Amino acid sequence: MSENKQIVADIDRSLYDFKDVENEKDFYRMEEGLTKETVLKVSEEKNDPEWMRDFRLHCLDLYEQIKMPNWGPSIEGLDMDRISSYVRHKSDMKGKWEDVPEDIKNTFEKLGIPQAERESLAGVGAQYDSELVYHNVKDEVAAQGVIYTDLESALHGEYADMIKEHFMKLVPPTDHKFAALHGAVWSGGSFVYVPKGVKVDIPLQSYFRLNAAGAGQFEHTLIIVDEGADLHFIEGCSAPKYNVANLHAGCVELFVGKNARLRYSTIENWSKNMYNLNTKRALVEENGIMEWVSGSFGSHTSYLYPMTILKGNDSKMEFTGITFAGKGQNLDTGAKVVHQGERTTSVISTKSISKDGGIGTYRSSVTIQKTAKKAKASVSCDSLMLDSISRADTIPAMDIRTDDADVGHEAKIGRISDEAVFYLMSRGISEEDAKAMIVSGFANPVSKELPLEYAVEMNNLIKLEMSGH
Amino acid sequence: MNADLNMKVNVLPVYTYNFLHVNDSTINSSDIKIDNFSTPSANSLPNGVELKKDVSFEEAGSIFRKNKDRIMVSTGVPGEPNGDTSGRDDGQALRTGMGIDVDKLMIELGVKTDIFTVSENTKVSEPIILHYDMADGEGSLSAQVVHACKNSEVTVIMDYNSDKDASGFLGVSTRLLAEEGARITLVKTQLLGKEFLHFDDIGAACFDKGEVKLISLELGGKQNWNGCYTNLVGKESAFNCDMGYLCRDDHSLDLNYVADHRGKKTNALMQFKGVLMEEAQKTLRFTIDFKNGSAGSAGDEQEDTLLLSPDVVNRTMPIILCQEEDVDGRHGATIGQLGEDLLFYMQSRGIDEEEAKRIMIKARLESVSRLIPDDELSQKVQYYIQGIV
Repeated sequence: MSENKQIVADIDRSLYDFKDVENEKDFYRMEEGLTKETVLKVSEEKNDPEWMRDFRLHCLDLYEQIKMPNWGPSIEGLDMDRISSYVRHKSDMKGKWEDVPEDIKNTFEKLGIPQAERESLAGVGAQYDSELVYHNVKDEVAAQGVIYTDLESALHGEYADMIKEHFMKLVPPTDHKFAALHGAVWSGGSFVYVPKGVKVDIPLQSYFRLNAAGAGQFEHTLIIVDEGADLHFIEGCSAPKYNVANLHAGCVELFVGKNARLRYSTIENWSKNMYNLNTKRALVEENGIMEWVSGSFGSHTSYLYPMTILKGNDSKMEFTGITFAGKGQNLDTGAKVVHQGERTTSVISTKSISKDGGIGTYRSSVTIQKTAKKAKASVSCDSLMLDSISRADTIPAMDIRTDDADVGHEAKIGRISDEAVFYLMSRGISEEDAKAMIVSGFANPVSKELPLEYAVEMNNLIKLEMSGH
Repeated sequence: MNADLNMKVNVLPVYTYNFLHVNDSTINSSDIKIDNFSTPSANSLPNGVELKKDVSFEEAGSIFRKNKDRIMVSTGVPGEPNGDTSGRDDGQALRTGMGIDVDKLMIELGVKTDIFTVSENTKVSEPIILHYDMADGEGSLSAQVVHACKNSEVTVIMDYNSDKDASGFLGVSTRLLAEEGARITLVKTQLLGKEFLHFDDIGAACFDKGEVKLISLELGGKQNWNGCYTNLVGKESAFNCDMGYLCRDDHSLDLNYVADHRGKKTNALMQFKGVLMEEAQKTLRFTIDFKNGSAGSAGDEQEDTLLLSPDVVNRTMPIILCQEEDVDGRHGATIGQLGEDLLFYMQSRGIDEEEAKRIMIKARLESVSRLIPDDELSQKVQYYIQGIV
């Protein structure tokens, strides 16, 4: 059969690529650059307790000392002297949509957030630039004792001690340069606490929108799912495209208690001027379950490797991810897992698609410590190359320090198989449809793990158009 | 003479997380006694093979420098992988697995190279056998170039051995050029004493339909480094690697194998079978690199590691880099102890756990030793394996 190349269309970003004008009357924007003064200003804006202000300054020192990573995509285009660390609307956070400022409300309306809240969510947090502008949780969920609030409020309320005990303990600022940066200028984000035994039947969602040009978003998400509790948390993010670099250096810390379960789903759709240097980490206690579902579609450059520490015996982790690297994108994504407890189990399954000069890199590490007797780990990563000007690289690592473990790994890189296309065509399906079916099937293991509305969004994002001529 | 070794070797083709400590390895040893700087003589030189002895290391690289444009043919398409380290070895006549620091050592210490040239259309049936019979306390550095001209075939066997309790140092550099239609089989068996420091660095280039086959057994030594970088530059060129290793006591084995696919329809198959016992540590980096232009190529890297002690450390980095659409790259790894089902089956046949382990160690290593195309050496290795288990 002929060797016709399939053509895959660029992602249609018009849904996300609208800009709101941020005027001085309504918005406060901190000067660009990162100094002790800017960090103190952020701290003052946030009305930090003393320990947090000191922590920020400590993180700034670390940021200045820690070197840039030598192994990932280039971040030369990111100049911190041109990034404003803090931008906020001058109004306060609201608990009702109708009270949210009109321009911001319109943004989230266009993104479908209020509708999703009405139809399928137990609670929503919406962050616009550096601050939460809306936070709400359904009464029946709140009645179960579930706390879902912005982190700043939690820092001053009855959960202040809990925040202090957990904040950046799982992701210490010494971890890497951008964790230190996050510690210095973090702003916004959510705090979730699910009490013992409480099962939240429908998901909570935070949506992060970075509208300001040349700005950074540094939200911090802290979730504690107590013993026997169950939660599904969804995170979405988008931004309009600018000609200057934007930076997202968020941090997610997840604590999964004994017998608890947490599913954390993300559809990342930042604009293609975004440097997404995000850090996510989960600590899982005995018999707990951590599930990650991750779709990476946007950003100019991404470093994203959600990490799970399986501390408790019999704890489990599943990571299902897809990355779509298109023109001008360098997406370096994957997962990390550390097995500490006995009989711990991890399953990492990823798919990546590269096209039109995009660079998709799968990078992972599986560490099995000496204490992790009878641990089992399985890694599977598949990459699909849609042309020969792109890159698809897999860079996994395994570090095993006990004999009493079972580790399997498999990886495949290839293109759409001629045989599969031929088979489908022999069943009366056109070549274009056959190729479209194969690519959809390739992404299917991830999309089936997403809630329906997110699966639809993901399919919209992929928008594959095939042509055999 | 005595020498200090301070070398950065086995650099990953692409860097990854620093906390794993796998991006490279170092050889740091002071006051190493080195007595010999040349290759031992072959038992006999088969017809059709010309030997040029004691050539300087730099001069011996001229055959590769002369063909630099062919070996390092540019793909013309920009876009390095993230964390790319290829620039580090730019000064090498031929890129090798362990890298440029081995070349620097060889040049600095004036190591002489033996060049074996196999003339065109010559199929050498008898292998060239080089015995490195190392005495206790002996140190040696040696280098060879094997140049197989068009449509020739040759087998080179390098047998490193000493008394089992001996100490010493052996460092070897082997560079291979398989021209159009040529085939080089390189066999390396390392049965050095348990206090030996050993490194073995290989670089290879294959032109159209050229093929390099490597059979390697690393069974002795205390600290061992191995590297092999194969430039598959010609159309339908191939690299086949079968490696078996056994690491025990507090010994270490550090490996870096790369198949660099540049030509069309190139093929690489790398299989590693090994056993880790007691407090042994092993690091295996293996990379299939499909450069732009290597359409129709296939690469497969497989690892099967048996872990037999709670104190072993096993690190594996199975990397696939790809800048070409029409390729098939695969990796598979199975790492762990004997499966319960297998043990149960063995026990139901009256074989206890210890015996079952012995059988499985032998099975892994002998599957490689059986490939040695010399009966005497093959038997010697199998006897050595039996002695261990």
